[in-house]
Amino acid sequence: MTFLQILLGIYEGFGITAIVTVLGLLYAIPFALLAGILQHFSTGAARWVVTATIEFWRSSPVIVLLYAFYYSLPAFGINLSAISVGAMVLGLNIGGYGSQSVRAALQTLNRGQREAGLALGLSRIEVLRFVELPQAIAAMTPTFINQAIQLIKGTSLVSLLTLTDMTFRAKEIAQLSYNPVGVYSGLLVAYLIICYPVTIFGRRLERSAAKGRGASHEF
Amino acid sequence: MTSNPTDEQAGMGSIQTVRGGTAVSIENVSKWYGNFQVLRDVNLHVATGERIVVCGPSGSGKSTLIRCVNQLEKHQRGRIVVNGTELRPGTKGLPAIRREVGMVFQQFNLFPHLNVIDNCTLALVRARKLARNAAEAVAMENLTRVRIPEQAKKFPAQLSGGQQQRVAIARALCMKPKIMLFDEPTSALDPEMIKEVLDVMTRLADEGMTMICVTHEMGFAREVADRVIFMDGGEIVEQANPAEFFSNPVQVRTRQFLSQLLH
Amino acid sequence: MSFDFAFALKIVPRVLEGIGNTLVVAILSFMGASALGFLWEIARRSNRHVRPVMQFVVDAIRSTPVLAQLYFLFYVLPYYGVVLPALVVGVFGLSFYYSGYLSEVFKAGIDLVPRGQGEAAQSLGLSRIHTVIFVIAPQMLRNVAAPLGAYSVSILKATPYLAVLAVPEMLGSAFDVASETYRYAEPMFVAGILFLCLALIAVTLVNWLERYLGVTTPPH
Repeated sequence: MTFLQILLGIYEGFGITAIVTVLGLLYAIPFALLAGILQHFSTGAARWVVTATIEFWRSSPVIVLLYAFYYSLPAFGINLSAISVGAMVLGLNIGGYGSQSVRAALQTLNRGQREAGLALGLSRIEVLRFVELPQAIAAMTPTFINQAIQLIKGTSLVSLLTLTDMTFRAKEIAQLSYNPVGVYSGLLVAYLIICYPVTIFGRRLERSAAKGRGASHEF
Repeated sequence: MTSNPTDEQAGMGSIQTVRGGTAVSIENVSKWYGNFQVLRDVNLHVATGERIVVCGPSGSGKSTLIRCVNQLEKHQRGRIVVNGTELRPGTKGLPAIRREVGMVFQQFNLFPHLNVIDNCTLALVRARKLARNAAEAVAMENLTRVRIPEQAKKFPAQLSGGQQQRVAIARALCMKPKIMLFDEPTSALDPEMIKEVLDVMTRLADEGMTMICVTHEMGFAREVADRVIFMDGGEIVEQANPAEFFSNPVQVRTRQFLSQLLH
Repeated sequence: MSFDFAFALKIVPRVLEGIGNTLVVAILSFMGASALGFLWEIARRSNRHVRPVMQFVVDAIRSTPVLAQLYFLFYVLPYYGVVLPALVVGVFGLSFYYSGYLSEVFKAGIDLVPRGQGEAAQSLGLSRIHTVIFVIAPQMLRNVAAPLGAYSVSILKATPYLAVLAVPEMLGSAFDVASETYRYAEPMFVAGILFLCLALIAVTLVNWLERYLGVTTPPH
């Protein structure tokens, strides 16, 4: 097998990798926003509950969460497909990290922004939606891109639940012919082709965000 | 409108005065930060169309006082009535009251993610539910009023401090407020930009706007104010018309403050 | 097959047998990742021709899954006749993967050291190596302590990846129990709880250490 054949063989698993990534984002983004906002605003017992939920999802090792949910949920009578479990666990894990960026972005916003919105007669919710969130989301976009890369890479774990993603395909190909160098460097290259452009894009964004912050102090 | 129980307690006569001539009345207002008392039993009545300048050393409570008028700070004791509505903890419809009270901040607080015209139309569209076209017309009218219509499409970071503050004034005026509050509007500006902002404020005063300005610009106070208030240690120490206030201050603390300003 | 809590409780000691290896792998990998990461960053700064190469290496490390990197080492090294215990391969793998992230931490940490410090040291006649060791590194340590603490927890949480190389750490012990008893739900559940506890203890410890050393997150 040539290296190109190996690479194409690995990309036969791209569909699963992509589906788990997209479904994962559908868990991660709403969870990050909701949990981050709730943690920012809640107090007392409510805040404790929100924090505990976030910490559960981001403090547990994701591979252990994956196995625990995949094998334990059926014992509690909950039967989900491997794709569903994979997307949920990976998504909520990344979303837990994301919630901390949301909260941090809201916290670092100048207090004057909120006051100016309130002074104009906007309600607290309207201030959050039209003044604070747009700025917070812009500020956390580079972080979020990095977290999306973590999610893409994390999908390699669903191969352990015997889903035929790119990593699983590599292991299959490795069994057909003894060529570990070709197969596993092919696997690294396959992920590199997908993630490297995103990494570079995130780096650019980070730099331009830093430049934007600088410009706002120049008169 | 008059379902507010305190209106009944105050009696018919006082309701008449409120509607007739008083824009803001502050009665026996006190406020604490922890154990530190920032406002001590403050009394101040501002008539409709009156221009008030509040001055005093930093930490005297002057900013806190005007921030109580739109409840960015909550007072703990006393009564504050704005446009006939008493502001109390848990007052319903605070956003509606705030729409009638414009505020200009020391740090401008423009929304950096919105361009100039969107800064002006945000509350019109979202809170007043105006159509975008109508809101933009109002915004352009007020940007022209502060002589900055040509910057409508720029973002705040692209403007000078003086321009940003004029946009902030236009943004507040778009809500057609009955009262304008200015919280040290020129303190964060470079000296050469102070005049353009004061000019806009002076014209606003000439148009009959009710204004409460916290500022150290004594030239502005002399020229524009109907009444100058001097605060120190959380209380009103002295108040008078500008001529009397500057030429013949009664209190020692006022004289000390003025002499420090002049030197 | 429903969940058997009594059985879950009974196997806790069995799963905990792997904790020793978990901690050893975490500590060695953290040291390896720090050393490699620092090396990458110093190499990146050494010369303007090396700079883009090292930047690519670091970005490439961060653009591929740790699982793929572990498989690569695990299957490719024996092909070239290098046969190492799985635990050692795993430590190499985690060190390599996290070195990509730690080099970014060191980069930020060095950037925060005022430029004049390096210039002053070199104008005193210190060599470049001595400048790094005696002037830059000590000042950098304060800046990197907080993110380094966070990554030490991340590395601890990455140790169960080594179970796929059959390293007997905690997740590996859980798998052993599962294959002996043909019950997966309870061992995986127990592993989940134990790792969560371990991670929370580690976070608490790192926070306490940071406060004890008086380190705060540097401004960005």
